[in-house]
Order: sequence, then C-alpha cells, then structure tokens
Amino acid sequence: MKKNGILICLLLCVALSLSSCKKKKSASEDEEEAEAAFDKGAMLANYADALIIPNYQAAKSALDSLDAAYTAFAQSKSVADLQAVRQKLQVMYVKFQHISTSEFGQAETELIRANFNTYPADTAQINANIASGAYNLDIAANIDAKGLPALDFLLYGKNTTDAGVAALFAGSPNRLTYVADCLSDMKTKLNAVVASWANGYRTTFVGSQGSQIGSSLGLLINQLNFEVDLLKNAKVGIPLGKKSMGVMYPEKTEAYYANGYSVQLAKECLQNIENVYLGRSRSGNDGKGLDDYLDALKIQHGSETLNNTIKTQFGAAKAKLALVQEPMSASIVNNTAVVDAAYVEMVKLLVLLKTDMPSALGIVITYQDGDGD
Amino acid sequence: METVIKALKEYVVKPVHAAPLAVFRMVFGLLMLASILRFMAKGWVYSMYVKPQVFFSYYGFEWIRPLGEAGMYVLFVLMALSALCIAAGFLYRISAVVFFVLFTYVELIDKTNYLNHYYFISIISFLLIFLPAQRYFSLDALLRPSLKASRIPNYFVLIIKVQVFLVYFFAGLAKLNPDWLLHAQPLRIWLPAHSEMPLIGTLLTKEWVAYAFSWFGCLYDLIIPFLLFMPRFIKPAYVLVIVFHLATSLFFNIGMFPYIMIAFTSIFFSERFHVRLIQKLKALAGRPEAEELPALYVPSQGLKKTLPGLMTLHIVFQLCMPFRFLLYPGNLYWTEQGYRFSWRVMLMEKAGTAFFYVRDKATGKELEVSNSEYLTPMQEKMMSTQPDMMIQYAHFLKARYEQLGLRNTEVVAEAYVTLNGRPSRLMVDKSTDLSALNDNYTPKSWILPFSE
Repeated sequence: MKKNGILICLLLCVALSLSSCKKKKSASEDEEEAEAAFDKGAMLANYADALIIPNYQAAKSALDSLDAAYTAFAQSKSVADLQAVRQKLQVMYVKFQHISTSEFGQAETELIRANFNTYPADTAQINANIASGAYNLDIAANIDAKGLPALDFLLYGKNTTDAGVAALFAGSPNRLTYVADCLSDMKTKLNAVVASWANGYRTTFVGSQGSQIGSSLGLLINQLNFEVDLLKNAKVGIPLGKKSMGVMYPEKTEAYYANGYSVQLAKECLQNIENVYLGRSRSGNDGKGLDDYLDALKIQHGSETLNNTIKTQFGAAKAKLALVQEPMSASIVNNTAVVDAAYVEMVKLLVLLKTDMPSALGIVITYQDGDGD
Repeated sequence: METVIKALKEYVVKPVHAAPLAVFRMVFGLLMLASILRFMAKGWVYSMYVKPQVFFSYYGFEWIRPLGEAGMYVLFVLMALSALCIAAGFLYRISAVVFFVLFTYVELIDKTNYLNHYYFISIISFLLIFLPAQRYFSLDALLRPSLKASRIPNYFVLIIKVQVFLVYFFAGLAKLNPDWLLHAQPLRIWLPAHSEMPLIGTLLTKEWVAYAFSWFGCLYDLIIPFLLFMPRFIKPAYVLVIVFHLATSLFFNIGMFPYIMIAFTSIFFSERFHVRLIQKLKALAGRPEAEELPALYVPSQGLKKTLPGLMTLHIVFQLCMPFRFLLYPGNLYWTEQGYRFSWRVMLMEKAGTAFFYVRDKATGKELEVSNSEYLTPMQEKMMSTQPDMMIQYAHFLKARYEQLGLRNTEVVAEAYVTLNGRPSRLMVDKSTDLSALNDNYTPKSWILPFSE
C-alpha cells in the first residue's frame, strides 16, 4: 500500500505543478484549501473526549450510585429507600441512552445494548429465576430477564403499592439477590468498557480515520443509525403496532412498570442522537462532528445544505416528540395520532441519516465485508 | 475491401507462438487459486452462500440453489483444485470445464454478489475451455507428448485479447456520461473520503482532483486497449495499467479486480517475452531445454470450421449486451434495467433505505417488515436500490407471511434512494403490489421516474 501511495503521490505532484503553473492562486482558493483540510482525527478525538468517554463515566457513576442505593434498600427494605433506588434507576436509564450509540470496541464485545436494555422484560422468566434461585444471567435465554427492564419490573411491580413491593423483597432473599446479581452483571460489563477506553482503545478509535468497513467513522455512523432504528421501532413503532398490523402493545414500551418516564427516555435518546450528529457534549459544547464534516465537504441536498436539512429534521422530530405525554404506553392508546406524528418524523430522520449522509460521505456502513467493483 | 478482409483473415489464422497462451493459463489458474483461498479465508462462503435465508436468483436461473454448508465448502475446494490444475495444465480441458461450471454456478446463486469482474472470470474461463492452452509448457504435454505444440493459430490468443479490449473499452464508453464527466461523480464523493491518507489526503478533497481522476480514468479506459494492441506501446501501456489499477486498489474496496487486470493484460506482451519467461521457469525448475521443434497445432477440420465462427458470434454478443439498456425507458442508473453484464464499473454511489409493508387486502391494515430478520446486511443494501431484487424480496415476504398465517396480503415498498449525491427520493410506486408482479425483461413501469 505504501508503494502505491508514493506512486500516486508522484503522479499527483506532476498534475499539481502543472495546474499551479497555469494560474496564480486567488484568495478564495486559499480559503477553499483551508476548509478542505477537514481534520477527521480531531473530529474523532472530539467524539472520544467530549462525548463517548464522559458519557461512559457518567453512566458508570450512575450505576454505582444505583448499586449503593440498592445496597441500602437491601438492608432496610424500607419504602423510603425503595423510592431512593427508583430515583437512581431513572437516572441510570437516562444515562444509558447516552452510551447506547457507542456500541463498538469493548462495548460491542460486552453487548452493552442487549445486556442492559432488552425489553419488554420476560417477567415469567424473571419470576422463575427468582423462584429457583439457580440461574446464569449470561445465557441467551436470560437476555430479557436482566438489565434495566428487569430492575424496572422488580422495583415497581404491577398493580401493587410501594409497600407491597418492599414487602416482596423483605419476604424473599432470592429476590434481593437477583437484583444484586443483575446490578453486578451490569457493573462488570460497563467497567470493562470504561477500562478499555482508558487503556488504549481511545488511541485505536482516533487513529482509525479511513472510510472502510470497521473504520471509526463507519462504526460511529452505523451505530448512530442503529440507534435511530431503535428509537423508531423499539421505543415507538412496535408498541404503536407498526410491526403488528396496527395491534398495539403498550406493555412493550421502555420502562413500562415505572409508568412515568418512557417519553423522557425517548427524548433523551433523540437528544443524544442529535448530540452525536453535532459532536456536541452533554454540557452543550459543540465540537467537531458529522455536521462540520458535511459542511466541510460542501454537501448539498437540493437547494439546501445536507447539514441544514438534517438539523431541520432533528428539529421537526423533537417538536413532534415534545407533544407526546408521559407515559408512552398511555399516549399510544389515548393519543395515537400524536405519537404517530412523531414516528413519521423519525422515519424521515432515519432516511437522511442512514442513506443521504453516509452516501454523501462515501462511508461504508454495511456491517458485512465484501468486494465491490 | 477484399484485400482488407483477406489480410484480416490471414492475421486471424496465422500461426503464433503458444507461449503467451501458456503463460496466461498459468497466471489465470494461480490468480484464481489465490482469489478462491482469499474468499474462503474471509469467511465469505458462509456469509454469502450459507447464512442467507433468501437468495436473489437471476431471471431464468431460479433453479440454481446453494448446496448447503458442507456442499458449498466442497464446491469451493473443488474450484480451487481445478484452478490449480488449470495453472499446471493438468487434465486441462476437464479442469477448465469444472472451473467454469462451478464458478458460474456460484455466481448465479445470488445477484447480491454480482461483480463485473466475476462475470469477466466466467467469460474467460468459458473461453479457456476451447483454447489449446495446455499444448505448451504443461503437465498434459509432458505426459502426452503428442499434445505438444509450440505454435497455434492466432485466433486462440486473439480471443482473449479482444475480450480484455472489450472490457476496457466499454468501461470507458460507460464513463461518457454527464455525472462522470461534468460532475465528477461519484469520485467527488469517494476521493475526499480518503482525506486522512498521508501526503495526498488533502489533495483528494479538491474538486479538481476528482475531475482529473474522472477524465483520466475515462481516457485511460478508452485508449489503453488500443495501446495494448500496438507492440510499440506495450511497455508504457503496461506501466499505465499497473499505475492505474494499483491506484484503484488503493482508493476503492475492489478486491482482486486490479490484480486480475494487471495479470491478464500481460498476454499483450510479445511472443519473445513469453518464450523467455517460460525458458526462465524451465531453468528455475532445473530443466533448461534445447531448441524446440516448431510444431504447429492444427485443429481438426470440424473445429477449424466452427471455432472462428463461434468466436465471432461471442464477440458480436459481447458487443450487443452493453447496449441492451437502450431498449428500456428511463435513466439507466436509476432503474438499472440492462445495467449488469455491461462493464459499468465504479459509476455509481447509490444507497437506499427500503421499508417493506405487508398489507392485509381486506382490512387495509399493514405491518412494516424488519428487513434484517430475513436479509443479510449486504442483501439489504443491494435490494434497497435495485428494483428487480425488490420484486423478488416481495415474493419472499408474501410467502413467508402466508406461512405465518397472513393470507390475502399485498406487499408494497417505500424505498428512498440516493444516486451520486442527489437527495434521496422514492424509487417505487407505493401503490404497487410488488408481490403480484413477475420479474422479467419487460420495462418496469412501477419504477418512479428519475428527473433532475
């Protein structure tokens, strides 16, 4: 490869010197040159340092406090401590939305998305596991009996009071252990991811600046698209009946048993997708991102720039989602049209991010190796 | 006029040395062996021919099905062995038939994996069946000295050269289009994607570089086949061939294609070059040979009469195939009607997202299909931009959902496709029940028009 590079370089040098003989550079051309030298390494560094790593750290501390709160509750079994755990669970649910777009490297190995948030929870499986006390959370059969959805189910329960939930825990050491095991499963996996970013994966990520399959940009865009897909389908479409001939499944919404913040999670998810697109940190610091890359390449979308088109579509999706009321399960049934309007905007966003953007950037996002011609 | 025809006839049948064809045979066999081993090592036998639940067969070849996991691996091993035998010139004729049949069979399983250079390999291996490539410097000739001949009629070498000529020339003709020449697309998208490359990275983001590459590429494809045919220019032409194809391998994910073209064009070198090459190989093997008998291979009377005619027919067919798109209305790149088998390489940056809906005809209720449940990522990517594959997928879905208990359904698609940097737009009419259509060679009226 190196040899080819030198060869081509030579050819290009000849071409360049020929073209520069012809005319003197104008000011606008100098400007163009400055613009054209878009630094992909700096963009990837921004993603690592301003978004991915801080978001993992925030998720880690949220998980640690959730764990601490649960330890306190496991001691006291009091309703007050139960409520404290629930509050920490909500924080963790939110923080999870911010790391869900980074499923590459160690996160992909640990299958963070699937292990943390496969829903709806298989409540029968959870109950069976607790009853038997013998289970291995790492087997495929338990993928929907663990993680945040299991905690949501166990810490809220269905058709029961807070005291009722606390009493269930007080009466069942197995149940106490099960939640502790779910938490420790998550902690082990998340800690491994956080450690990998601290121990060299950042360098790998920032260093892989190509556009081929498996390049950092390819991974980032692929996961971004996957996340839009999850937002459209898992959070909204499936409960709304889009995959089931209009038969609705409100019980398939995220954080269904908490029954109060599923729309918030969808909003956080969409906000995070927009942040990734913009290269913007949680604190609002807007660094180099895909938007800047598109602009540097002067990508048009009809009469508008593609960047502006995408930003407008983010705005439209956010505006429609803002009209949906908590919880998602109730809105789906009672305000179907409002939810459907948000869904429609998400589909449009998906097309722009999945088709127009990668195609304009020449990024291979298909996650399957093969030759082209 | 008559003298021209006479001269041409003489040129075509005149005896030439068999060395170039023998070298080509070895180059072909070894390169195919390497390609097959690479293909297997990358796990593509599994991901392309074992794992998929659906296979997008070619019209008229629906009867070609994959063989299952063990069968596919056995088949690839046999293909590799036949390639090795071709290279060695061992059981040559049988090996050439086996290679052609197996290779083409695999290519016909799923159009997802269509590549122009696979089609090229199929053609070359088909031609090899009829060429006396084993009569010189081969195991067959060693074992059966009666086979041996050092001179053969020119048309046996010419047919390969003409085929290579056609590939280049049509690839060049295809580049004579507004997107390529006037908008430098798709290179304007593909080159800046490599801006991280050392030294040349920044240059690749320049618009003029995309234009320079486009125009140079077009001129190269149109001119190089002529230069290759001129003995005077063969050396500089070959340097160009190497530079051009290595450059493409550097920028594009095109696998073995550059090496195949570099290797195959060596057939244009002089007889002397090939004879010397073989002498060196013989010396290397410790069997330097004295002066050879100038034995001429004379095809049997029947072959002599039919082969040149059949070869001419092949060339006429090859000349017509790339123009069949003219029989279809609409933009070729958009509809892809008559796109394949025409040496249209690297012409499009095309991508799409296709939502498929299975709709109950009685109630009008519908569900959106999760494509990833049924298709591999590669299949979904290809299907999302190619109308004929959409019909096949719709048929699959109709049958699949019937199994699941949904009768009386129709399958419609909402496919957003972007072509060479244009905003994505709907490709098919969403009111068309794709599962009710049959894929055939008639124009597809349900493809929405492509207008600027």
